[in-house]
Amino acid sequence: MQQRTFLQSFVSKPEFGPLVLLVLELMVFWSFNSDFLSLPNISNTLSFTVELGLIALAMTLLMTAGEFDLSVGSVFGFSAVLMWTLFNSEMMPLGVAFLVAIAASLLIGFVNGWFVTKLNIPSFLVTLGMLLVVRGTALYVTDGFPQRTWNAEGNLFANVLAGSYFIGSFRMYMSVIWFALAAVAAHYVLTKTKAGNWIQASGGNPNAARARGVNVSRTKICLFMASSAMASLAGIISSIRTSAANPNSGTGYELEVIAMVVIGGTVLTGGRGTIIGTVLGIFILRVMRNGIVMIGVPGLAYNIFIGAIILGMMALHSWLERRHNSGV
Amino acid sequence: MAEDLIRMEKINKFYGRIHALRDVNLTVRTHEVVGLLGDNGAGKSTLIKVLSGAVPLTSGNILIKGRKVELKSTADAIANGIETIFQDSALVPQLSIARNLFLGREPIKGGSFLNRLDQDAMNASARELLKRVGITKDIPPETPIAALSGGERQAVAIARAMQFDSELIILDEPTNNLGVAETQGVLRFVREARDTGHSCIFIAHNIHHVFQVVDRIIVMRGGRVVADDIDPKHTTIEQVERIITGEELLHAITA
Repeated sequence: MQQRTFLQSFVSKPEFGPLVLLVLELMVFWSFNSDFLSLPNISNTLSFTVELGLIALAMTLLMTAGEFDLSVGSVFGFSAVLMWTLFNSEMMPLGVAFLVAIAASLLIGFVNGWFVTKLNIPSFLVTLGMLLVVRGTALYVTDGFPQRTWNAEGNLFANVLAGSYFIGSFRMYMSVIWFALAAVAAHYVLTKTKAGNWIQASGGNPNAARARGVNVSRTKICLFMASSAMASLAGIISSIRTSAANPNSGTGYELEVIAMVVIGGTVLTGGRGTIIGTVLGIFILRVMRNGIVMIGVPGLAYNIFIGAIILGMMALHSWLERRHNSGV
Repeated sequence: MAEDLIRMEKINKFYGRIHALRDVNLTVRTHEVVGLLGDNGAGKSTLIKVLSGAVPLTSGNILIKGRKVELKSTADAIANGIETIFQDSALVPQLSIARNLFLGREPIKGGSFLNRLDQDAMNASARELLKRVGITKDIPPETPIAALSGGERQAVAIARAMQFDSELIILDEPTNNLGVAETQGVLRFVREARDTGHSCIFIAHNIHHVFQVVDRIIVMRGGRVVADDIDPKHTTIEQVERIITGEELLHAITA
């Protein structure tokens, strides 16, 4: 195996394609509208980027282990509804309601993981079923109506979780800090730890991993729980920011999150994942959503661009994969 | 005199109504390479699956150094010092050589909460091990398994079995699909494993490969062991072939 130059090995990394795409995207939008890189727009984009981003981080780990979770969008909507319903009915303070919502999502994740690992049902079917159960529950308990959230004004807990602060003229959302911390932690877990080794092995060759004493089922169940908990956290943060807990919110998020992850270079079939790639994928899709509106493309055309990006990136990844396998 | 490492006594295995193993007795001594031969459907694979913990036996005993053991899973077998290397299935292709070698027994540094892999220690022992199994090419331990040739993968799997002191290494068709040079490499690893104190069961369709490396040949036919003490030095390949197909009377050579 010959030594490769730094540039060659950089180009062959799965994160290279998404990085180029993101830079390109930023340049195009900025050249059309110089407000695109203004501080208020960056702050605004960041605030809604990181909410889906939190889910995408956990989904990256889950997909690296060879599974995925379609129920995250419904958990996103359900958790916020559950927390605000408990709080508004004066049953408990907001912090406790938050913990109850997170605990409920952990249970949902556990059930997902249990069905997938113990009953050997594909995660597509299990989490599709869970999506309907959770969404249905949210709609049923609320009669389909949004929950009041404005009681949270000045609530310390709500401020720590989803408040915002001005640094000079830049409005910094707390959720951005949580996202940054979560991204660093997820990257560390995936690349530096024993748990990360087990996650990759569970997705790459579960039988070999099991034979070496890796607890594949437990690894996957933990990741389903993490994915659900992140969806719950994201839904709650979003409900505080937008002052709305709608039982329908988060519809379709599961596919957007999975798109973010695969665009970043994580393989749908498991075994290989990259948090750096996912962070790039998150920004590619969310900047696109913000950018096309700012340059005057009708927002309804958004999906055309997203679809094209997914197809383009998949073609690029498969080309890189073939190059890699032929030893170039 | 070498002692018995593995003793399988009166092993029977039914798959539904199919009687796959019939009263099989099999012994592997310490420091011994045993060749297990038989036509398709003779029961070799089933026997190996039983011994590697992959399928449960219907009746019979397995003793390791005289101690009765129950092998309920592959992990059980590995914990009891029995390592089975199926072609290509034992390694995680996306992980590096070093990470595959230590999968499930990763060294940790800096406290259990951080769960941090000791990558330097893993790389250092990986280099050492690869040298021990005779890989002379300079392959960095960070190389993913997917980038290795079939022979190199076998070498990594064998190196792992040797590292973790598996007393019995079962090689299921390790030379399938390998080129001539790679096959020689694998046979060398098998000898190396024996010389460092391991026993091996070597299963291959290619009798020539088996003859080059084993101390003793066992032949199965129709779910039974029909010959278990064939000395490759005093037998021809043609004779063994006739035993496998059932044309040769056994006592002619085993007596």
